[in-house]
Amino acid sequence: MTSTTLHYLSDPVLRALYLPGVVAGLALASLCAMLSVLVVLKRLAFVGQGVSHAAFGGVGLVVALGIGAGASAAGTLGQFGVIFLFCLGAAVLVGVLAERGKTEADTAIGIVLVGSMALGAVLLRKAPRGVSWESFLFGDILSLSWADAALAWGIALGVGMLLVVVRRPLLFWAFDPVVARAAGVRCGVMNFLLMSMLALATVTAMKLAGVVLATALLVLPGAVALKLSARWERVLLASACVAGAGVLGGLVLSFEANWPPGASMVCVLAGFFGVAAIWAMIRRA
Amino acid sequence: MTDAAVEYSHVSYAYPVSGVDATRAKEALRDVSLRVGVGERLGVLGPNGGGKSTLLKLTLGLLSVQQGTVRVFGMGPSDAARAGLIGYVPQRATCELAFPISCRQVVRMGATLRAKWWEGTSAAHREAAERALSLVGALDWAEAPIGRVSGGQFQRVMIARALAGGPRLLLLDEPTIGIDVAGQRQFADLLGRLHAQLGLTVIVVSHDIRTVAAGCDHVACLSRTLHSHSTPEGLTPRVLAEVFRHDVAAVFGDVHVDAHAASTCRDPSHAHGPARSRPRDGEAGEGGAL
Repeated sequence: MTSTTLHYLSDPVLRALYLPGVVAGLALASLCAMLSVLVVLKRLAFVGQGVSHAAFGGVGLVVALGIGAGASAAGTLGQFGVIFLFCLGAAVLVGVLAERGKTEADTAIGIVLVGSMALGAVLLRKAPRGVSWESFLFGDILSLSWADAALAWGIALGVGMLLVVVRRPLLFWAFDPVVARAAGVRCGVMNFLLMSMLALATVTAMKLAGVVLATALLVLPGAVALKLSARWERVLLASACVAGAGVLGGLVLSFEANWPPGASMVCVLAGFFGVAAIWAMIRRA
Repeated sequence: MTDAAVEYSHVSYAYPVSGVDATRAKEALRDVSLRVGVGERLGVLGPNGGGKSTLLKLTLGLLSVQQGTVRVFGMGPSDAARAGLIGYVPQRATCELAFPISCRQVVRMGATLRAKWWEGTSAAHREAAERALSLVGALDWAEAPIGRVSGGQFQRVMIARALAGGPRLLLLDEPTIGIDVAGQRQFADLLGRLHAQLGLTVIVVSHDIRTVAAGCDHVACLSRTLHSHSTPEGLTPRVLAEVFRHDVAAVFGDVHVDAHAASTCRDPSHAHGPARSRPRDGEAGEGGAL
């Protein structure tokens, strides 16, 4: 940790600006750690990409309607609710298009992804002048308030509790969907719950990492962890450590290099993946 | 007559066909009636596309019956599955083998599936999983990652997972695919042992005559309709020729079936099937003329 970071840590004025972002980042790390392993194992990275980009349509709607223009807690909640519903709608639409068998899953994701981006672009053209939306694309730590941080922790705890409740049928479905269905597991419900959790994580990640980079946080911790171990408990633990180190390391890099926080976090996580991949290759050799 | 474990009554099923001619349906089963007694081992034998998997899916409640009825221990198939009465062993392809879990954890999934969400993995669950692993002889590799075991070991783990939930009916879908002849023999022994120790009703769906003949009390030959339902000794060349005629015709073209000649053949190399003939130019060498 160098002088720039120490300067940020010691200066009370600066600390008040970035601290909500750091607290929200830790919530984001725990969310991503929980979901990332399942996203990688269920090959949902592209679905996550579709859901996160669909958030741009929700952002357009929020900005065009002027929801949460002030920095109030109600405004934050309103913004969050609209974008979450937009992401969830996109995830369900992808699921419906793919499940009916009329459209291939990757085609369905591609359609929903570009459709939402296009809608967002059109709606943002109608936004009042002076409204900033770039932070939604690439993230901005200074755009986070304490209300955002509280919401992020509420979501992380909610998702954690939901995962505890549905852990058995969810894991069974994720591992072996055909037998799970035969054993009476409601696979449609499990799929919907996972999609809802992905949408929640995406919206939580959006302000910090931006819609463009949010997917990386849902993929990289799990991908790194799966390179490190073939034991479930160790993979979950490694995913949590990698997500936490990636978010905090990314924020430090962001302070030091004056990079956008989302890009910094992704760079750190990608670096972890490179190291893990090399380590896995050496171990196999 | 023993009580019925599974009863199919005039079951017909057709898959809707999508595409240009969406009004047509592809018939999979036609008017199949069959009764499986409690404790019976039934082998369902038939060619690819003969309706075996459809019958299995109807028994599991994965497909809804279109015509006729299917009862499993007097219940609808979905109710029986939710009550934990059915253990299902799929083909290898249905699992995500990249999952970083051990064989023991896979078997515990079966043992704890019906536990309440607030319950941890109890001693009873662990015991049920260990008992199932022991029954199938999989304790030695129980800690190995599920994606790194051989085909035969994987099959045993899947059977253990199905048994760990304490089912009364065990359904096995093509259990010997990808397993060598020695493994198939071991599988038949295992099935016999499980049947003797647990008194389970077993239905094995396969297109492998050896598997079905060696490990079952009764055999149902299915090629859309039910061609025969008898003991393995009733698997005469005539019956097999009738059931597999489309497969044979696909390789050799239309053939004349001389059932009498085939049934009186004493050549040991033909013990499990018909006399081998030379395939036509450019065709696969597997299979034989009936």
